[in-house]
Amino acid sequence: MILRLSGLAGLLLLAEALPRLGLVADLPPASRILAALADEAGTAAFWTAVGDTLTAWALGLAIAVGAGVAVGVLIGAVPTLRAWTASTVEFLRPIPSVALIPLAVLLYGTDLGSTLLLVVYAAFWQVLVQVLYGVADVDPVADETARSFRLSPWARLRHVLWPTALPYVFTGIRLAAAVALVLAVTAELVIGAPGLGSVIAVAQSSGALPTMYALIVVTGLLGVAINVGARYAERRFLSWHQSVRAEPAR
Amino acid sequence: MRRLIAGLAVLTLAAAGAGCGSDDPGAGSGGADKVKVGVIPIVDVAPIYLGQQKGFFASRRIELTMESGQGGAAIVPGVVSGQFQFGFSNITSLLVAQTRNVPIKVVANGVASTGQAGKDFGGVTVRRDSPITKAADLAGKKIAVNTLKNIGDTTVRESVRKAGGDPAGITFVEMPFANMPAALQAGQVDAAWVVEPSLSAVTAAGGRVVAWNYVDAAPDLTVAAYFASTKLIADDADLVKRFTDAMNESLSYADAHPDEVRAVLGSYTKIDPKARAALTLPKWPTAINKVSVETLAKLGEQDGIFAGATPDLTKILP
Repeated sequence: MILRLSGLAGLLLLAEALPRLGLVADLPPASRILAALADEAGTAAFWTAVGDTLTAWALGLAIAVGAGVAVGVLIGAVPTLRAWTASTVEFLRPIPSVALIPLAVLLYGTDLGSTLLLVVYAAFWQVLVQVLYGVADVDPVADETARSFRLSPWARLRHVLWPTALPYVFTGIRLAAAVALVLAVTAELVIGAPGLGSVIAVAQSSGALPTMYALIVVTGLLGVAINVGARYAERRFLSWHQSVRAEPAR
Repeated sequence: MRRLIAGLAVLTLAAAGAGCGSDDPGAGSGGADKVKVGVIPIVDVAPIYLGQQKGFFASRRIELTMESGQGGAAIVPGVVSGQFQFGFSNITSLLVAQTRNVPIKVVANGVASTGQAGKDFGGVTVRRDSPITKAADLAGKKIAVNTLKNIGDTTVRESVRKAGGDPAGITFVEMPFANMPAALQAGQVDAAWVVEPSLSAVTAAGGRVVAWNYVDAAPDLTVAAYFASTKLIADDADLVKRFTDAMNESLSYADAHPDEVRAVLGSYTKIDPKARAALTLPKWPTAINKVSVETLAKLGEQDGIFAGATPDLTKILP
């Protein structure tokens, strides 16, 4: 742990020294950025922005996960459907979410809706693709066994498909959680939807560099928190699964 | 599975919520109309924030919300689609929209140049040690503007032309105003057209202004205006009139109270107090200077900004 934190301390030292030595123009020293961060943390507007960003993130992620799992299980479980939709998925998936910004603005202006559209679009494919892999990974012997025991489709979904797919679902959620934050901040930054991104843009256009960097640091911290949270949830909900059980032994 | 059903429920709710995204402005509390205005969070729009603080809108039964788009790009479509009832945009962008038959019309003045060389809120700047000393020297150079094919490049070309230089060889580079002081310092561009507060940042770092492009383009140039969709103007003329009245009162008040303007800047920008005290404020007349708008239209046409079309000023101006 101490070794890990030393990396952070080194980075802070570097970020303090480089601007003071005049090696990087227009980057305030770390101490000034931290001071600006402390100032920001004392304002209500800052916490509203953090709340807006987290709302867009959580709502977008929830919709993407819900839709990704539902669509993924449906498509994955019905081979014909999988064959029909394969080309559609492969066509839509690589479209960068940010390319939808003009569409988002036309539909929702600078509201939360615009951010959600971008977040959901980006996060949905992460979940869907993982679910499809998960469904494809079902052991045919187990599936056949369940069939010969005349388990209902529902019971097979519950007891055969779902436990196999769940680790994939969590991988999808973890990937989607990170992507969702990136897209939430991007949408706010570019479109001006309320949240940390738009506050960063205002700080930038105001020439308030320490504040701008302080807010960027906050988005980084949110990213770390989200990643740690997702890993924790994964370990907790998959404690029965060998991929997680084996981890401490490694 | 219960989680899955919950997910589906969330999805359905979201879809239902999305459906009411473009609701018309409903009557708010106390019979006031809820009005959303698309603005760019810069110095130019200080009067509307000040007017809101002073109650000029509330007294006309308007409940104002400012939505900040990061540029005209989000504001014009927002007004057309009814997300915003009013928007703020520079004149050249409005003229471009007009040549494309976008159904919008100006309802109030936005911001104007001070008309004084040496004391305007925007200008073309160079580094302290630059060999460029006058507007004519900008010919053939690389100049930063915030948006290509817009009010920046067209007025800068006019400055060069008026100074006897040939603007044809200028390369314009697009970058946000806030990045320009650093780009200038790093030598990425030969000159940069900046407005406040970036203008103060450049001069504080020793930079010089070599051309006052707004001043050169036309006396007392109208730079930007507030506009609405022609649909709103036809459907709710009373609301538009109340907005225009409130806006005019705000503009006059802001023009007469620079200290209050500097104070209100702290409420919606992050310009630090020292910079707020030092920056050059624009002018906020209530009248739109039609002659200057004609000049911008002519310059834009000359520079090929309207893709060969001629803007019809009677359709865009009130």
